[in-house]
Amino acid sequence: MHFLVLMYDDETAATEPGTPEFDAEMEAYVAFEELAGGAIVGGEALQPSATTRTVRHDDAQPRITAGPFAEVAEVLGGYYLLDAPSLDDAIELVRHLPVASQPSGAIEVRPVVQWFDGRPEGGGDRDTQVLATIHGEQTEADDPDHEGWDIGAAEHDAFIEGAGDVVVAGGVVHPSDTATTVRRRDGELLVTDGPFSELTEVVGGFYVLDGTAELVDEVALQVPVPAGGAVELRPIMDVDG
Amino acid sequence: MAEPSTRPTEAAIEQAFRTEAGAALATVARLVGDLDLAEEAVQDAFVVALRRWPVTGVPDRPGAWITTTARNQAIDVLRREGRRAEREQQAGDALRALEATPPILHPVVDDQLQMFFTCCHPALDPASRVALTLRLVGGLHTEEIARLLLTGEPGVAKRIQRAKHKVRTAGIALRVPPPELLPERVPSVLECVYLIFTEGYSATAGVHAVRDDLCDEALRLARLLVELLPDEPGPDALLALLLLQDSRREARVDPAGRLVLLADQDRQRWDPQAVDEGLHWLRRAQAHLDPSPRVAAYVLQASIAAEHAQAETWEATDWSAIVSRYDALVALNPSPIVEVNRAIAVSYADGPERALAALERLVDDPRLTGSPALTGARADLRRRLGMREEAAVLYRQALDEVRTEPERAVFAGRLAEMTGDHLPG
Repeated sequence: MHFLVLMYDDETAATEPGTPEFDAEMEAYVAFEELAGGAIVGGEALQPSATTRTVRHDDAQPRITAGPFAEVAEVLGGYYLLDAPSLDDAIELVRHLPVASQPSGAIEVRPVVQWFDGRPEGGGDRDTQVLATIHGEQTEADDPDHEGWDIGAAEHDAFIEGAGDVVVAGGVVHPSDTATTVRRRDGELLVTDGPFSELTEVVGGFYVLDGTAELVDEVALQVPVPAGGAVELRPIMDVDG
Repeated sequence: MAEPSTRPTEAAIEQAFRTEAGAALATVARLVGDLDLAEEAVQDAFVVALRRWPVTGVPDRPGAWITTTARNQAIDVLRREGRRAEREQQAGDALRALEATPPILHPVVDDQLQMFFTCCHPALDPASRVALTLRLVGGLHTEEIARLLLTGEPGVAKRIQRAKHKVRTAGIALRVPPPELLPERVPSVLECVYLIFTEGYSATAGVHAVRDDLCDEALRLARLLVELLPDEPGPDALLALLLLQDSRREARVDPAGRLVLLADQDRQRWDPQAVDEGLHWLRRAQAHLDPSPRVAAYVLQASIAAEHAQAETWEATDWSAIVSRYDALVALNPSPIVEVNRAIAVSYADGPERALAALERLVDDPRLTGSPALTGARADLRRRLGMREEAAVLYRQALDEVRTEPERAVFAGRLAEMTGDHLPG
C-alpha cells in the first residue's frame, strides 16, 4: 500500500546551506533514500514557507493571496510517497529521516487511497512547479467507504481532465483519523495516533502543478475544495539540479 | 426439576466463550486478514454452538471446534461476497487462503500474541488500545467493556469501530514485531494491561474503591502475556507488580466499602499465595541483566510493592530501601507522580520535615495541577507535623479535586480529625 509522508519542522531552526550541519542533513537524506530504495515512489522538497500562497474560496470568486492557510510554527518542508507492505514497514523507514529527530520535527504518515504521477523521468521542465495541498474541514464524504465519496471523486476527475498537462501528479489520502505521527527524541521512537496538527490538516489530497506561472495560478483556482476550505500552494525546490 | 438438561451446556458455552473466544478470533483473523470478518465468524460459531451443543454435548476440545466452525462461517461469508463483483478479487484471495487451511485447527499461541501487538499498537490512542484489547484479546462483549470501564456502550462501540477502521485503513499489520523491535513495542502492551489493572485497582470513577472484575481481567491478560512472551522480562515484571498489588485487594476496602490506607490495613487479610507468586515472577524479571528502561521501571515498581508485601507491620517497612528504588525510578522516568510517591517514602524514612520541601517544589508543576494525590500528600505531612490548620485547608482543597467517592471519604475523615468535628468511636 502507499503512504503519504509529510515532514513538518520549525523552519527558523533549519540548517544553512554551506554549513557542516546542512551537509550532514543532506547526507542523512541521501542515506534515507538509499535505505528506502524502491519503496520511494515520489517526493519533493519545498521552498521556504514564506513563498506560500493560498487559494481562498470565501468570496464569490476564488482568489489567490500571499501567506499560508493557517499560521503555524512547524511547517511542511517536504513529502515522500512510499510503497510499503504495512504501517510498521513505513515507520521503520521514516524513523531514519533527519526531520524525525529535530527538536520540533514530526512526520505525519497518511494512508493513500490512490495516486498518480505522470511526470517523465527527470521531473519535467520545472518552469513553475508547485505542490497544491487541500485543507479544510473534513466531512464524511472524505471517507472512501462513504457513499458521498464518489461525488467528490468525480469532481476531481473533471478537474484533472480540464487542467490538461498542468496537473502532473496527485494523490487522495484517507481521512486524518487514519493518520499516525512519528517523532524521534533522544533516539527513542514516539508514535502517536492522529494527524500532526489539526490546523495544518491535509484533507482530500494534493496535486503537483507544472507550467508557466499564469497557467499554474489558473489551474490552482479550479482545484475543488471542501466548504470553508482552501488550497495552499508551495513552490517545489529543485534539489536534483 | 424445573430446569431442563440444557442448563449445564449453556454454562459450558458461556465458559467456552470466556476462555476460547480470544484464541479463536486471533487464529481466524490471521487466516482471513480482516478483524471484522473474523469477529463476525467467531460470533456466528458461538451461535451455532448454542444451537448444536445442547443436542450433541460439548465437544472434547471446544476451542478447536469453535475455531474450525468460525473458519467455515468465514468461508461462507467470503463465498457470498465473492458474488459481488467489486469485492471479488479480495474475497477470492482470502477464500483461497482459508480453504487451503486444514479443517481442524488448534488455536495458535502466536496468533494471540500478534493480536495483542495489533490491539496495543502505538499508532492507536491509549484508550482505544484498552477497549480493543479487552474486546479482541479478552473476548469481552462491548456491553461488558462498557460496564467494566464505566462508560456508555455507544461510546465503547464507536471507539472500537474507529480503532478497527484505523487498523484496516492505516495498514497496521497483524504480526508479532521482529525481535529487534520488541524492546520498543512490548512496553505499550504492558502499559495497556497495567492501565486495565489500575482502573480496577484505583478506580478513577464511580462509587467502588476496587473493581474486582477489571483487576481479574488484567491479571488474566498479564498471565497470558507471560505465557506468550516467556523470554521477555517485561511481562514477568508486570505480572509480579499486579500480583503484589493485588495481594492487598481484600484488605484495601473495609466491610462498608471504604478505602483502607496501607498503614491501616489488616495484613492478615493480604493474600500470601499472591505475594509468593508475585515474588517468584519478580525474581525471574530481576534475573534479566539488562532490561530496557521502560521494563526496568516495572521491575522497580514491583520491587517497591514487594517491600510492602514482605513487611510484617507498617512500622517494620524498610523505607530507605523503598526510597532508593524511587530514586532509581525518578532517574529512569522523571514523572511528577513518581516524585510525589518518592517524597512520601522520604517522609517515612527520614521524617515529614525532610519531605516537605520536595513536595512544595512540585506545586507549580502544571502536570500536577488539580491532582488530589499531591494535595493529599501535602496535607498529610502537615497533619503529621501537627500543623492542623494548614492541613485542614489542604484537605478541603483535596476534597474539591477528588473524583471518586472512596477517596472523598478518606479526605473527609482526615479533615474531620483536623477540625475536631468527628465523633469519637
